[in-house]
Amino acid sequence: MFTIYKKELKSYFLSPIGYIAVGLFLAVYSTFFFLTTIQFGAVDLGNLYYATARYGLLLIVPILTMRMFAEERKNGTEQLLLTSPRSITAIVLGKFLAAVTVVLITLVISLIYFVIISFFGKANIVTVLVTMLGFLLLGMAAISFGMFASSITENQIIAAIITIAFLVIPWFLPDINTAFSRINLMDMFMKFTYGLISIKDLVSLLSFTGMCTLVTILFMKRRKTVK
Amino acid sequence: MIEVKNVTKKYGSVTAVDNISFEVKDGEVVGFLGPNGAGKSTTMNMITGFIEPTEGQIIINGKDISKKERKAKKEIGYMPENVPLYYELTVKEFVTYMAELKFVKRQARKEEVAKVLKETGLEDVQKKLIRNLSRGYKQRVSLAGALVGNPAVIILDEPTVGLDPKQITEIRALIKELGKKHTVILSTHILSEVSQICEKVVIINKGKIIAVDTPENLEKKTKEANGISVTVEDPKNNMKNLKNNIPEIESIEMVKDNKDGTKQFMITSNAEVDLRKKLFEVLPKQDITIFELKKTESTLEDAFIKLIDTKKEEKK
Repeated sequence: MFTIYKKELKSYFLSPIGYIAVGLFLAVYSTFFFLTTIQFGAVDLGNLYYATARYGLLLIVPILTMRMFAEERKNGTEQLLLTSPRSITAIVLGKFLAAVTVVLITLVISLIYFVIISFFGKANIVTVLVTMLGFLLLGMAAISFGMFASSITENQIIAAIITIAFLVIPWFLPDINTAFSRINLMDMFMKFTYGLISIKDLVSLLSFTGMCTLVTILFMKRRKTVK
Repeated sequence: MIEVKNVTKKYGSVTAVDNISFEVKDGEVVGFLGPNGAGKSTTMNMITGFIEPTEGQIIINGKDISKKERKAKKEIGYMPENVPLYYELTVKEFVTYMAELKFVKRQARKEEVAKVLKETGLEDVQKKLIRNLSRGYKQRVSLAGALVGNPAVIILDEPTVGLDPKQITEIRALIKELGKKHTVILSTHILSEVSQICEKVVIINKGKIIAVDTPENLEKKTKEANGISVTVEDPKNNMKNLKNNIPEIESIEMVKDNKDGTKQFMITSNAEVDLRKKLFEVLPKQDITIFELKKTESTLEDAFIKLIDTKKEEKK
């Protein structure tokens, strides 16, 4: 698993994809920082992360996940991976963790804003760290779904569109159907931004991630027999 | 040793490979021969565990590829068709990655990678990005990826497609060299390749095996008549009456009337007799001057076309 993780992470930063993802995240984050903190003097880092999650993840998750399996399938390098003595589980987890690491890197960089705020006043480090934990969990959930989307097609654009749709539809959810509004990932993230770790939300996000990862593994295994 | 037992692969209602069985012994170089779309790649993908057979069993050195996947895959080095590679990596990075994937131990990795790069002649380009390499080099990188980790079995899917003649000769020499230490299966639709490199040929057509033999035997088996091609100067037109002097001759046919006064004939006889000696004795006595005399060999090409055609007729 570590071998694949290492190679995938390297590939992110050998191509522009890794830099674009990090750059986009920071661009979105900085925009909200400017709009709220600088223009209105409002200091609510939790809220900043919430807004970034809503718009930023929409941009960076598809970029990170669309290539995962679709590109390998299209280029045929999938054959190299799947005929190596590595298990499908190790391959899927390696790729998943590499994408999560890119999100983690951007989160660490975003600590700059905490430092800036601390310079002018007292910011609560615990709240920020809890928010980041929530952001990471939310990112993992979104990435696992994107990974699944990438595993079902050899077209990266289709994989990206499925992922974007998945992230956008919840925006309109309460209007469309109230029954489904309970499974909105963004709502699960909400409490983290107040500095609260809700076990319910934590478990929900983790189990969603686990489910998508498992479905990806099963799907890749099944493909061997039907392909 | 590779055992393929009653393997069938179906894609929906289409049967790509239909109940095939064969064995490859240790150290053999086996050519998998067939027209495009015969099921060569499907079979290779099944042997390497990339796809699962619908029915049947594939055993690599005693390990079933479906049941003991990991152990069986460790025995195999695979170079897929169309040479898939990670273009963003350098040659060395790629080969190292393949070594890591195949569980080559950390201490031995550097040495193993250097050895394989040397074997495949990639030392000079090892720091180059794969993206920037020519087709021939990409092919070698792919081959290096298959060789790294010293697998017992090496499977090459159309290893010489898209190469220039010089590169083809080089790759063939390399494969021959590999055959000394490894079991090699290669697929191709180029027949001369098989007669040059392989000790055994498996001919496959429309998902079925139609022959398994050595290239020489196949050539012999499919040969029905002995043909001799002669070019002669025959001012008195005596060639027509040659049958009277040599009764073993079955037929004489003029192939070509050259403008310089010579004519080319094709003489056939039963497979058992060699007419060459008699022709040398008889023709001068008939005032015929021999310019050229040559036994025609039936090639693997003939064998191949014949085998495929006979199977078609059987069906009818």
